[in-house]
Amino acid sequence: MIIDQKLSNIDPLNLERLKGLSKKARETIVDIGATETGCHLGGSLSVIDLLIALFDNYSLNNNNQIVLSKGHAAAALYSVLYVQGVLKENPAQNYGKHNSLLTGHPNHKIKGIPYSTGSLGHGIPYAAGWALAQKLKGSTGLGIAICGDGELQEGLCWETFQVVQAKQINNFMCVVDINGAQNDGLTSHISPSENIKGRFEAFGFHTLEVNGHDFKEIIQALQEINNCSKPLAILAHTIKGKGLPSIEGNPKAHYLKIPHRLKNKWKRSII
Amino acid sequence: MTLSGRDAYRDELTKIAEYNDHILCLEADLGGSNHKFEAQFSDRFFNMGIAEMTSIDMAAGLAEAGYIPFFSTFASFASLRSAESIKLAMGYMGKNIKIVAPYGGVSGGWFGTTHHSLEDIAIVRSFLNIKIACPYGEEDTRRVIREAALSPHPYYVRLSRNDAFESLERESDAAFSTIVNQRGTSKLCLISIGEQGTELCKKMEDMYPEVSHIHLCYVDHSSLKDVIDQLEGLGELFLVVEEHRLAGGTASLLSVLLPNKRVYSFDCGELWPLYGGNHKETLSHLKFDSENLEKRITNLLMTH
Repeated sequence: MIIDQKLSNIDPLNLERLKGLSKKARETIVDIGATETGCHLGGSLSVIDLLIALFDNYSLNNNNQIVLSKGHAAAALYSVLYVQGVLKENPAQNYGKHNSLLTGHPNHKIKGIPYSTGSLGHGIPYAAGWALAQKLKGSTGLGIAICGDGELQEGLCWETFQVVQAKQINNFMCVVDINGAQNDGLTSHISPSENIKGRFEAFGFHTLEVNGHDFKEIIQALQEINNCSKPLAILAHTIKGKGLPSIEGNPKAHYLKIPHRLKNKWKRSII
Repeated sequence: MTLSGRDAYRDELTKIAEYNDHILCLEADLGGSNHKFEAQFSDRFFNMGIAEMTSIDMAAGLAEAGYIPFFSTFASFASLRSAESIKLAMGYMGKNIKIVAPYGGVSGGWFGTTHHSLEDIAIVRSFLNIKIACPYGEEDTRRVIREAALSPHPYYVRLSRNDAFESLERESDAAFSTIVNQRGTSKLCLISIGEQGTELCKKMEDMYPEVSHIHLCYVDHSSLKDVIDQLEGLGELFLVVEEHRLAGGTASLLSVLLPNKRVYSFDCGELWPLYGGNHKETLSHLKFDSENLEKRITNLLMTH
């Protein structure tokens, strides 16, 4: 994804616009969840507001790249590309189908997706490499990775943060979607990630905590990259399945196939 | 003085970097403290620390932005620790990354099994689209590095440690071309891969003038398919001599690519290199030496 940074307008109308995009993206995720294969529904709904804000703030064209490192949330990425107009058709039409590039994890052959992710951890060093390249070129471009809190269990993430610190890659941003759950249950039960903020700070990051469903907070945090001389970590507290009352907050919503008969009802229920 | 493969790599890459400012040199803390590239181009040299997977994935980001990152660490760590990153970034997504891996085979000698790499070619070869080069000697190493720098393809260059060899003479300047070092009259043709394999085969040339010897530098799936026609005309029996395991080794692939020929392997067998000793002694422990190769050739000539 080649994108262009612009200052965000945090006026109320803009916030309403983003909410509208977010609702449309959530509807698209439900469409994808209701396909034959289903999708990683819970984590797609938790990360969607972050993706909407990022893609809106860094829209198509120059030296920035956004990488969804928690690639299992591909449905969210495809939906955002759809509501942004990069994908012309509802991705649910071909998601998972024979001869379709819309695979269950992001496919780098699709416009707007710079790196195929899904094996957790890899998108973070890729974005750091992109950021380093921009520094070498004297560009102000950014490398931005969006990962999950469960993903931080991968050693590769911390290996990369060590390198980011050592090489002073200050144009790197890591946004963590902290929804508290992973494939087999609650992150706190499986491998608790205590004091994430302190960990990032120890690795030299300027670290902010936000409500990952509040656009005003998200956008203000994103703009901090312009004001600090360190890499930026945004710890976004989110809710798994956010926006769908029937699954909101349920860790079992990690992967779901929505019965077709419930699709429209669920879409109408989106908050 | 002839340089070892890894010294030749550092020297050649530094030369290329003089006229190509897209060349980057990445090391994982095993490049030595007096790296020639670092001395001349410190702004394009990155000791990433002991972070192999990160290095490959970051190299992917650098490559996407138009740079040509060369990443070097020991073969065992490059191929095994970074395997998933290599598969994704270099194989699947075809990012223009060059891995240069010294300490191939058991060239680490007394450093022990952790530092040996008898599986790397099998691993990397299974990730399609990556060029795998095993140059023999200084000049071939320089050729391969030049070719890698010019090529849009990802590369895995397997080198040895500090042994220095004079490369075989080539008719062309391309390491892609095969070298027929000896054309014999018997049905048997030796195929040598890498430094130690080629050294052993050269020793056999005087003892068995009737045996042909061909040397291959590039041994990835695609490159091997490209030389099949040439191999077809060189014999009925082929003995591939390679400092590697049989599983996933070059002989195992050629046996499938040459279904009408008999392809045998002279490799490092099924033992783990448990003991100390220098490179040659470690190879002898694995029965990868001239004495055993001689027995193998004699046996093949007598039974066919």
